[in-house]
Amino acid sequence: MMTYIIRRLMLVPFLLFGVSILIFGMLQFLDPIERASLYIRGDFKSEGQIQAAVKKYCLDCPIYEQYTNWLIGTIDSVSGEREGGILFGNFGWSKTTSQPVADLISHRFPNTLDLTIWAVGPIILIGIWLGVQSAVHHNGIFDQAARIFSIVGTSFPTFVFGLLVLMIFYANLQWFPPGRLSDTYSQVVRSESFHHYTTLLTFDALLNGRIDVFLDALRHMFLPILTLSYLSWATFLRVTRGSMLETLRQEYVTTARAKGLSERDVINKHARPNAMLPVVTLAGFTVVGLMGGVIITETVFDYPGIGAAAAQASAQLDVITVLGFAMFNGFILIVANLIVDILYGVVDPRVRLS
Amino acid sequence: MSANNEVLLQVKDLEMHFPIYRGVFQRKVGAVRAVDGVTFDVRRGETLGLVGESGCGKSTTGRTILQLYKPTNGGVSFEGNDLLKLKGEEMRLMRRKMQMIFQDPYASLNPRMTVGQLVGEPLMVHNVATGAEINERVAHLLKVVNLNPAFSTRYPHEFSGGQRQRIGVARALALQPSFIICDEPISALDVSIQAQVVNLLEELQEQFNLTYLFIAHDLSMVKHISDRVAVMYLGVFVEVAERDELYAKPLHPYTQALLSAVPIPDPVADAKRARTILKGDVPSPANPPSGCRFRTRCPIAEARCADSRPEFREVSPGHFVACHLVN
Repeated sequence: MMTYIIRRLMLVPFLLFGVSILIFGMLQFLDPIERASLYIRGDFKSEGQIQAAVKKYCLDCPIYEQYTNWLIGTIDSVSGEREGGILFGNFGWSKTTSQPVADLISHRFPNTLDLTIWAVGPIILIGIWLGVQSAVHHNGIFDQAARIFSIVGTSFPTFVFGLLVLMIFYANLQWFPPGRLSDTYSQVVRSESFHHYTTLLTFDALLNGRIDVFLDALRHMFLPILTLSYLSWATFLRVTRGSMLETLRQEYVTTARAKGLSERDVINKHARPNAMLPVVTLAGFTVVGLMGGVIITETVFDYPGIGAAAAQASAQLDVITVLGFAMFNGFILIVANLIVDILYGVVDPRVRLS
Repeated sequence: MSANNEVLLQVKDLEMHFPIYRGVFQRKVGAVRAVDGVTFDVRRGETLGLVGESGCGKSTTGRTILQLYKPTNGGVSFEGNDLLKLKGEEMRLMRRKMQMIFQDPYASLNPRMTVGQLVGEPLMVHNVATGAEINERVAHLLKVVNLNPAFSTRYPHEFSGGQRQRIGVARALALQPSFIICDEPISALDVSIQAQVVNLLEELQEQFNLTYLFIAHDLSMVKHISDRVAVMYLGVFVEVAERDELYAKPLHPYTQALLSAVPIPDPVADAKRARTILKGDVPSPANPPSGCRFRTRCPIAEARCADSRPEFREVSPGHFVACHLVN
């Protein structure tokens, strides 16, 4: 298992290199003046300042020099400070939000991560449960009902379902408002006495002992979670159901029955674990998708996550910000895939040993 | 291997029909008559060989006896208990006494479980042993089937076919059953390994006084291991007899055809003897021929064979045959 993990880890630098080449390649579509905003903070002041930046950071140099500058940055000869260099977290300046892209990401990503953490459970666990039950009651009433229920969910465009639940639960019932926090609690969170241990709002609220803040945050996340879940269940149901039906036909399931196991043990201990391999892949993709920001869902519910920020940036042609998000997303994707691959080893001993 | 006369398993008119659904509304339009009325006994301590072409219902018969399928009709009585009447939990407990060795040693072992877990699980679910005792029992069982007890932490895919089949045997033995159905336990193995597994099964039978229903399509292997042999064709038994009697004096034309296909290890004698070569294919079990199932391929069929199904009758002591033309 250890060699398997190490071998997978050794791939990571190469993957990151590939991603960086892609992003850097896209940067080359911009002219040197636009690329200067990788370095210049604040709005452009004068033509001369831009020309100076182009010259100073060698933005019209050969590509390989530019790439190393972009990757590890340059040391300013006067101040001795590093300028640029995405390896050191300098993704450039976001002109639409007037802050470094790295700051924008670090403000927005915890919200997205918070949503991901709370959405993953309902999406995956209920999705798998639906799939297993459908397979066990193959072609029965539960199976048909669950398939219709979930296919209806998948058929909804996110913005339609989002608006629907907003109308019902916000406009009519006033139960679950959009946004991140109610005004009163926003002030609590911004106050000096509220410590940001993890930057994840729900966890910080619990660590500060503010159950009220925690519940308010969950209340605001409920509709996005509901929307994301309902729209994903059909996929999980189908993949789990198909894999489970396949597994239930396997001879070792018959063996388990012949051993004298109860039907519940046959399903939970023999069939389901063996059916989980494709589901792990799907779950990995789902988590990566959630962490990369769910643009429509975050926009519909006015949730200040990374997806909504990327959408705003691209609407205003803020290329540097968008590419910063892209690089960050690539990083997350690689890490998440690594975790999925390791989970494969946990789920299937044959992967572990070969 | 001496069999006494105590009847361990009694199968009466057993039928297993798998329904066929067709059309928009999935109406039942017929059934695959995989097992269509078989009656036989198995005596304690004996090995009953069950032979027939693939698709004739041998395996289904075995699985239906163990209630792995719910029979359409008929009765199965094991040690005097009517298995069809047993409720879920009662049947589960009854499985301690009746086990199965499966055909495919690759598919029948859960790939996520170690050998120790595979062999030990029956002990656990039936509360036969707990904790360290399970490990001891597993080690002992592995030794019984000539495997290194240290293998118990390994996974099935690390073993060869023959080793896997012996793991399957150890698993079946774990609960000390009195009756084991061997469902083509050697068909999936290399010829060089087959003898090894068959010899093991014979040794174990002697050691633990086991009763086998040995399903196979290899007639010479069945001759080697069985006390009595049953021949099956398209869901029905056509002939049952003591082994020596059946091989020396086959009465049913199908049995004769099967035996004439077994090569004799003497080229002169082999060339001289008369061969019965069957023509055509096995008819579909969803739409079997009227009357005698075998009449469409039978070299001696007459008009009456199409009219009525031949009775499965005892023509001499212990020798049953289902053919109108046998006196």
